[in-house]
Amino acid sequence: MVLPVLIIGVSIVVFTLTRISGSPIGIYLSHEMTPAEVAEIEARFHLDEPVPVQYLYWARGVLQGDLGWSGVAAAPVTEVFPDKLAATMELAIASGLVAVALGIWLGTYAGARRNRLPDHVTRVVAVSGASMPLFWFAILLLIVFWVYLDWFPIGRSDPGVFASISHPTGLYVVDSILAGSPTALWDAVWHLILPALALGYGATAIIARMMRSSLVEELQQDYVDAARAKGLPERLVLRRHARRNALIPTVTVIGLTFGFLLQGTVVVEIIFRWPGLGRWMADSVLRGDQATIMAYVLFTSVLFLMVNLVVDVVYAYLDRRVVLGE
Amino acid sequence: MVDALLSGAPVDAPVSARQVRLRRGLELAASVLSNPTTILGLAIITVLIGMAVLAPVITEPNVPDPYQMPRDWGAVAKPPGTPGYPLGTTNEGGDVLYGMIWGARTSLQLSLTVVGIAALVGGIVGSVAGGVGGRVDEVLMRLVDVFLSIPELIFALAIAAVLGPSFGNIIFALSVVFWVKYARIMRAQIIHIRQNEYIDAARVIGDSRLNIYRRDVLPNAITPLMVQATLDMGHVVLIGATLSFIGLSQAGIAEWGVLVSEGQAGIAAGRWWASTFPGLMVFLWALAFNLVGDGMRDVLDPRTESGR
Amino acid sequence: MHAPATIASVVDLKVHFQSKRGVVHAVDGVNFDIRDGETLGLVGETGCGKSVTGRAFLRLILMPPGIIAGGSITFRPHAVCPACEGAGCPRCGQTGRTPAVCPACGGRGCAACGGTGTETVDLLALSGERIRRIRGDRIAMIFQDPGKALNPSLTIGEQVAEVFLQHRSADLMQAAGVEAGHFLLRRFASQRAGTPERLLLALPPLRGRRDRILRALDVMVAKALADTQIPNPRKLMDRYPHELSGGMRQRVMIAQALACNPDLLIADEPTTALDVTVQARILELIRELQRRRKTSVLYISHDLSLVRRISDRVAVMYAGRIVEIGSTGEIFRDPRHPYTRGLLAAVPSAAIGRGKLAAIRGTVPELVDPSPSCRFAGRCPHETGACRSYDPALAPVARGHSVACFIHHQPLAGERPSFARRSG
Repeated sequence: MVLPVLIIGVSIVVFTLTRISGSPIGIYLSHEMTPAEVAEIEARFHLDEPVPVQYLYWARGVLQGDLGWSGVAAAPVTEVFPDKLAATMELAIASGLVAVALGIWLGTYAGARRNRLPDHVTRVVAVSGASMPLFWFAILLLIVFWVYLDWFPIGRSDPGVFASISHPTGLYVVDSILAGSPTALWDAVWHLILPALALGYGATAIIARMMRSSLVEELQQDYVDAARAKGLPERLVLRRHARRNALIPTVTVIGLTFGFLLQGTVVVEIIFRWPGLGRWMADSVLRGDQATIMAYVLFTSVLFLMVNLVVDVVYAYLDRRVVLGE
Repeated sequence: MVDALLSGAPVDAPVSARQVRLRRGLELAASVLSNPTTILGLAIITVLIGMAVLAPVITEPNVPDPYQMPRDWGAVAKPPGTPGYPLGTTNEGGDVLYGMIWGARTSLQLSLTVVGIAALVGGIVGSVAGGVGGRVDEVLMRLVDVFLSIPELIFALAIAAVLGPSFGNIIFALSVVFWVKYARIMRAQIIHIRQNEYIDAARVIGDSRLNIYRRDVLPNAITPLMVQATLDMGHVVLIGATLSFIGLSQAGIAEWGVLVSEGQAGIAAGRWWASTFPGLMVFLWALAFNLVGDGMRDVLDPRTESGR
Repeated sequence: MHAPATIASVVDLKVHFQSKRGVVHAVDGVNFDIRDGETLGLVGETGCGKSVTGRAFLRLILMPPGIIAGGSITFRPHAVCPACEGAGCPRCGQTGRTPAVCPACGGRGCAACGGTGTETVDLLALSGERIRRIRGDRIAMIFQDPGKALNPSLTIGEQVAEVFLQHRSADLMQAAGVEAGHFLLRRFASQRAGTPERLLLALPPLRGRRDRILRALDVMVAKALADTQIPNPRKLMDRYPHELSGGMRQRVMIAQALACNPDLLIADEPTTALDVTVQARILELIRELQRRRKTSVLYISHDLSLVRRISDRVAVMYAGRIVEIGSTGEIFRDPRHPYTRGLLAAVPSAAIGRGKLAAIRGTVPELVDPSPSCRFAGRCPHETGACRSYDPALAPVARGHSVACFIHHQPLAGERPSFARRSG
């Protein structure tokens, strides 16, 4: 399929980026080295070879798990990755779940009451969600709920509580349930609410918008009238018939939403001091930690591609007409 | 009507293709303007662009560089309502209102440049891909697909990070990220036209490819390109401000993202205005262009009501 | 009583639609009866209001922008024949249904039922809940394109089952041998169970009985499908609509519609979307089922020749009004209204020689705020001055045959009185 080609293509782009900003081995060099030592280091990193060969060496390294050294974390990238990944995944999943549930509900509510008040409100929410600068919305939430109301904390956890349980999955909420610790669970959830809200708003808007327009379209179909003609109560017509079919195209937006969430974590993690990939990335950007940046780009792109692939497959499965080539 | 012609009865005066296009264009414009949200968007855009263009007139430009935030060390971190500073000042004594107005100018420059470059490059690549076809088309579209596989913000972030923090680098990074959609649109238009039989007819009578391109492809491609460009005017500023916020722009300039970032330091102490107002501007900018872009899309292509 | 019993009467039905250009008088004063057990064909060109009329019976019109601007549709629902419990017996003429007893007078005769003793309701005035109970049970509808009228995401079995779950849940529970009083099971059998309830029903103590209900449901669905001569109903039940041919889908629709033995079937152009050969078979099927169960049918179509084959009586509709109504034989032998004549002449047949395809000149008038004139004025070859200023109503011209045209009758009370008599 096309997927491997795209992954290779992305890796080439990333590799090109590494070579743009001067010598990639800059962190290994220092002024005291002799030209011979420099040449030796260059040879070790294959910089004397033609560029395509360098790419192959680099690619091999990546596949073997060598993603370079992170100046920010003072450790190999692959070592630091899993912990940060868990933190970001927890945030993304929480926001995603909220966005999907809320977005579908809102879209259905609005679509069933087309052009009446709930619909207009939803459309305002949807368009503002798509235009909302995430960093601004997050800061607003911070100002209102942390500075003034002081309802929610920032960061991921209270260090003492966090250390009191073991972390098999890396997902704080799950770990606290597994450890059977209500204090930890409360701590986890309470810290999660604000950033998940910030991140979820835009995603909710995307999904609600799609759901609404799908539902409006389905409600105009003949089978909806036919269902009413059978004597089905309106709520069944809506849920069992119209909404079920309207959900199918909405699935395709899930992939898009995922991309949105992924990108949003960068900003949200900065503002809420969440110790995830996004914040690590932001720090790396400011301090020129190339290895991290490239690893991040590679990782998010591959993830994005795979999620879209899954979405395509699920969509084909759901839309039975598509499967049998109607 | 044929009967009328044959019988020699008077017929309506023939109308040129140009006139037809003009009239159709006006009809479409009227349709677009009939939507109240679109009008709201246009109103906001007018205000914002007005701010941007008239910035040197409505504010006292900073010396030596008006794009640098002025620093009044005597009025550091003043809240809104302080005399002379209706929206307050930043941590370095910069006038928040000044930042908002000159930020509009910066944003206008950013979005026009990026969208201009992206549309041009994308248009050319798309035309080549669609016009030449074959291997070239395949390779170019693979490239487009690869670029689309990398999430926009992250891609721009990486490019700008690698090149170094500067406003110019942000423009470059965003152009690299945004051209792909235009390539796709242009290519789709060309392929669509090529499949039309009347092109074969035109070729048979010896019309040159370039003429066909100019007369048939471009006018039809304009509409989806315009919709995309309008929406992108908003998105570019959104992503650009985010990049500045993260720190990829020069410090101290009058740019909305930078201002929000610099204003963060005061938040814990309750100084909300330095971040809130510039951020609001980014929101309004993106909202306005989204409203207008959506309004245009509703009229020109009502089937696709989907997210982006 | 010698007059044939009517199952439904449409009296002065008016359905209007709000649009940007004004109020469209889609159905503007329609009157006709449907007799018990007959097939009435409702014919007219696209846009004449015939579909809207059919939908009005079940109140399937979208309420904004639609408005029921007046009139009534009286309906005499039937109930299960007490003598045979629906199985069929001489008393109910083997249909399993007898007219329901009027609840107000218990069958003795009163104002509410017009002295007949049978239950009579105005479909347009019923509450939402009551009309919902009639839909699919006493009055059923089949639609034009079965490909679009079936939900693509549900199996045939799941969709047909819905009719039974909505209207026959008591019978269902009885057939499954499940006690009728059980709260959760009763809700399940009438499609009222929510997700938590269904989860509970999946657990062992209730699961067995739930499955018995599902199996009894399958039996009912299979029987309904078999009644329309669908081969292998059990296998078909698990299929999705797109896996079936057009003709098969329409059979499913018919099976679904007739599942609860309705009194009236409204068929809205059921064969328009089908191939000609399939059309014939579906028509045969409808005729056969109608003969056996004595279901009344309102057959809506634009195709005259089709309507002729299946209807006992025909009503011709034009621009929101009935212009002519009578028995099929009468209408085709002796059409009186100029529009009907035009329609019949326009149908190509082997009898007409080559090159003589007749068309009715002009187009259907815009129905926005129509002026009080005959709607056919301007297209009618026999038009007189009066036709532009006055609006003819339906009046009898022969036994069982009525026409709305000034050629054939004098003005009646209700039309403008100062009308110059037309000689000849």
